[in-house]
Formats: sequence, structure tokens, C-alpha cells
Amino acid sequence: MSTPSGTKAQSIGPLSGAAVKDMLLAARLPIAIVVTLVLFGIVEPRVLSLGNFRNIAIQASYLSIFAMAQTMVILTRGFDLSLGYTVSLVSVAASMAMVAMGGGDASILYGVGAGVLIAALIGLANGLLIAGIGINPLVTTLGMANMVMALASTISGGFPVTGLPRGLTAEFAQGTLLSIPIPIWFAGLVFALLFLTLKATKFGRSLYIIGANPRAAVAAGIRTLPVLVLAYTLCAVLAALGALLLTARTGSGEPNLGGNLTLEAIAAAVVGGVRLSGGEGGVGAALLGALFITVLSNGMNLVQIDGYLQQICLGVIIIVSLIVNRDVARR
Amino acid sequence: MAPLSAAKPAEHRSSLLDRFLMQGGIVITFLIVAVVATALVEPRFLNRLNLINVMRNFALLLIPSLAQMLVMTAGGFDLSVGAVVAISSVVTAAVMLVGSGYFPDMEIAIILLSLVAAIGVGALVGLTNAGLVASLSLSPFMVTLAMMSVLMGIALYFTQGIPIYGVAQSFITGVGRGQFLGLPIVLHVALVVLIGCIVMQRFTALGRHIYAVGSDLRSARLSGVATGRTLAIAYVLAGMLAALTGFLMTSRLGSGQSTIGGTLALETIAAAVIGGVSLRGGVGRAEHVALAALFLAVIANAMNLVQVDSKYQTLVLGAVLIVALAIDRLLLRKRQA
Repeated sequence: MSTPSGTKAQSIGPLSGAAVKDMLLAARLPIAIVVTLVLFGIVEPRVLSLGNFRNIAIQASYLSIFAMAQTMVILTRGFDLSLGYTVSLVSVAASMAMVAMGGGDASILYGVGAGVLIAALIGLANGLLIAGIGINPLVTTLGMANMVMALASTISGGFPVTGLPRGLTAEFAQGTLLSIPIPIWFAGLVFALLFLTLKATKFGRSLYIIGANPRAAVAAGIRTLPVLVLAYTLCAVLAALGALLLTARTGSGEPNLGGNLTLEAIAAAVVGGVRLSGGEGGVGAALLGALFITVLSNGMNLVQIDGYLQQICLGVIIIVSLIVNRDVARR
Repeated sequence: MAPLSAAKPAEHRSSLLDRFLMQGGIVITFLIVAVVATALVEPRFLNRLNLINVMRNFALLLIPSLAQMLVMTAGGFDLSVGAVVAISSVVTAAVMLVGSGYFPDMEIAIILLSLVAAIGVGALVGLTNAGLVASLSLSPFMVTLAMMSVLMGIALYFTQGIPIYGVAQSFITGVGRGQFLGLPIVLHVALVVLIGCIVMQRFTALGRHIYAVGSDLRSARLSGVATGRTLAIAYVLAGMLAALTGFLMTSRLGSGQSTIGGTLALETIAAAVIGGVSLRGGVGRAEHVALAALFLAVIANAMNLVQVDSKYQTLVLGAVLIVALAIDRLLLRKRQA
């Protein structure tokens, strides 16, 4: 999608060795996904079943929403370390709102409202602290992450919130439209909207310019404050959407829902080729990265690799992809 | 995104306020306010036993905070500090447990062996971090984040989250709960590390090189600093200090635990930045970091005394970090205006 060497692969005429190599590098992530599937499929044939492909697509749709959210701020040389705990807080708060409003299907709207509102406030605070006061995004969102984590575990008392509307799980987790599961629709919708935003709006282009060169952005007359505040708010609101979908899937508000999501979302974006130094990459890269990580963890689950070993693998994959992406960018 | 210029000494017109701020004035103010407020609200704060407790916590925060400072002044970032503490705690207890099975009579030798093993693991992690950051020029943030995932995975895989008991009794009474000249042993250790850092920063070539590499890698290289080696030393020292923390924490807890150190990345970064260490490298002094660590230890103790839920303590820690940085930023902006 937005792989750094993508433009080089468009050489015309008979395919030279170098052109083939460039094409392979540009398509390295799809290739890696297929190779991973085949390798796990050899060990465990169930990996290659149609039912499992459907599973992978559903799982990847959740992670991709978080990875795309994270991408919006990484593009600006930013970061959102509070994303995972925002997911936890939204899950708990939205569930409590639904339960408080009677737990009927009509209460879903209140849950969505509460979740989105809370996330928007978190994103707004992040954006104002980072762009308005000028605090480093890593430290701001690290501090915010701990505050949000504390809130998520205290308002719920540390226990899952149960008694959610039946319609929530039935519609938003198990439901289908045109026989495609609802979570996949949401991921597709988010992708389409963000893709268009990045390509075709002034806001989208501003994100790239700010990330590529903050001073040039100011010189070019971009008002960085509203752009950055919007980027962080958007990131948090998208995280809330993913949190609501995940809550529908688990059927309860979970204070520990987002524990590993920050790392996984960043990993997905980075593996996909979104540059941490800003200004490069896109939501397509995040989507592919999320798909790769999902394929990997799905395969490891099916061949029954210990969860802690999977954690080790995730770390190694991040480092390897950093090295690969760096080498590609240098060519 | 941090376009505002760094908090480097603006020599042209140093007013009294400027100098106060440069000399760690904010931290000192924070610290005094915290101590006075706590003592007024909760007189038990000044009990001898409580103060010793504060000093122990301070010591165990100071050592990893100095590790974080070393990496940050070299222009890096270490999110794996807490994970190194956890894995070195597991290594310490495991070596002791296995060793005392073979040589039950050589307790002191086995304690030393476990210290060497833990610090060796810490050095290895630091070397790996440095190799990835310096030789392959990857983002230190991502490298240490990935490293954290790897180390936590290893520690949890081998212990399955269960504490390792069977730590030598003399290790617990002698180190973790021991005192010397009326002060906790861990405090003595931390102060030795602190003095070592101060001397290193002020009087050695290594100290100057770390600042140089952190403030501008390219010009440091052009002026003949062995940048790769300097970074490697900073990361290795940081890994060793984190491992030392894990060793000391094991002696205090009486078991090796893979789950300790969870919030240490946050706490050490908080101590470092409140102590004036710049996130862009090249700026930061060990003595100011020590004051910040003491400040954090005091407010944590204050919250314990007035029985604030430990989860709210995390909330307060996050808020303190953000507020301290916001004040720092706003004062800097005012001075520049």
C-alpha cells in the first residue's frame, strides 16, 4: 500500500532482476502473510480451513481498527500509549451506562454515547497537552495511560460488568450483513473513511506534513494545534469504537480488555511499515500489519504455543520488521 | 512533536529565577511541599520506622531511575527497565534455589553468584538494546518496547507467574531488611550508585561523551567520540543497574517474582523527567533525579498512610508526571518570551 519502495516497482518493459526484487519487497507483507499461513497449515491443517479464515478476518478487524487509530497519530510523529487502557475504560464505562439504563436493547445507544464521550475527552486531553503545552507525546500518553488504567479498574471495582443487552452481542458481534460479519464491515468502513481522509482532505495532508517536518508545517501555514488535537481525538474515538465491538464480543465490560492492545496496535502499524519518525505510511499499511499479526497469533494458538512464548514472538517480530523496513527505506 | 527548544542553559541573562530553575529548583520545591504537607496531614510520616520504609522505597526507585537517566541523557529511552528487574529477580532466586541445593554450606558464595548471574543478564539485555539501537539505528522506544515484551514473556514462561521461594535466609535478613549505621543496606547501595553516577557525569570522559552523544550524535562522532561504544556503555550500565534493583527487590520480598516491575518504566521515566532529564537527550543530572525519586517515594508513602487505594496511586502518579511536565514547559516558555 504505502511501502517505501512502492514507486520504484513501476519500471516499464521486460522484467529485470532488480525490478522483480523491488516488486517482491513491495509485496513483502502479503507474501509474509501467505507464507505464515502455509507454514502453520503444514503443521496444523485446520489453519487453512474456510472457517478459520473467517475467524482470522474477524479477529483482524478488531486489531486493524486499533492499528489504524494508532497510525493517525504516529503519522504526526506522535504516539498513543493510552490506547489500550482507553479501550478498557470505554468497555467498562459503556457497560455500566447500559446496565444503568436498564440493560434493554435501547440502552445500547447510551453505552455508545458514554463510551465515545469518554474517549473523546481522553483524546482531547492528550491532544491539548501535546500540541497546546508542548509535552512529549510519549510521556503525555504514558501518564494518561496510567490514569485511565486506574479509572478503568476502580470504577468497575476490578470485576467484569455483566448484564449487557442481548442485542449487543447478537447484532454487533455475531450479526452479519450480506453474510459478512458486522465487525468486518466496521473495519472496512473505518479503513475507507480514513483512507479518503488521508488522501483527499486538507486535514489528512496536514498530518503527513506535520509528521515529515513540524517546522515546515508551521511555515506552510498549517495550524498544528487543531490538527493534532483532532488527530488524538480521532485516535481515541476509533479506539472507543473498537472497544465497543470487543465488548459486544465478550458480552461484558472488561477492565482488562485493552492490556496488550497498545503494544499490538503499535506493532501492527510498525510491521505494516508506518514510519515512527512520522510522515510515512497509511491506514493500508496498518491494515496489512494487523492481518499479519492476527495470522501469526491465530496460527500459534492453533498449534498450541504457550501464551508467554507468543509474547516473546511478538517482541521478536517487531524488532525484525523494524530492521527489514529500515533496510527497504534505505534502498 | 516537540518543536520548542531544549532546556539548555540560556547563558545570556541568568536571573535568580533562571538559576533556581536550572539547579533543580522545581524538584526541590515539589519535594519540600510534599514532605511538609505529608507531615502536617499525617504525623505518623515522621516515625522512625516509616522513614526507614520511605528510604527503602526511595533506594529501590533511585537505582532504576538512574539507569533510565543514563539511557535518556544518551538520547535513548528504556521501556524495558521494569522487565529487566523482573527477569533478574527470577534469575537471582533461581540461582540461589539451585545453588543452595548443591552447596548448602556456602550461602554467601551462592548469594554472590546469584548477584553475578542477575547482573550478567542485565548487561546482556543492555548490550542487545544497544546493538539494535546503535548499530542498526532503530528507534530506542520501539526496541525497548519489544524487548519488554520478550523479557516479560521469558520470565513468565519459566515461572508461569508463580513466585520462586527458597531464597537464602541470610540474604533476606542481611540485605533486603538489613541495616547499617541505622540506615537500610539498600539505601547505602543506592547512595553508592548515586555518587558513582555524579562522579561519572561530572569528572569523567565517559560522562562528557554520554552528554555529547545525547545532545547531537553526529557532531559527537565528528569530534571523535566513539558514539557506538558510548551508547553501548550507557545501555549496559542501565541494564546492570536494573538487574541490581531486581536482586535487591528479591532480597526484600524474600522470593523471585516475575510480576514485579510492572509500573517501573513509568515511575523511572517520571523520576527522570521530573528531575529535569530531557527527552531529547544531552541534559540531566543524577542528583536532580535523586531528588525527584525521593519526591515520588514520599508521595507514594503519603498515599499509603492515608490509605489511598493502590490503583488511585497509579492515577496520581500519571497526573503528577503530566502536571510536572506541564509546569516545566510553561515556565520554560515564559522564560523564553
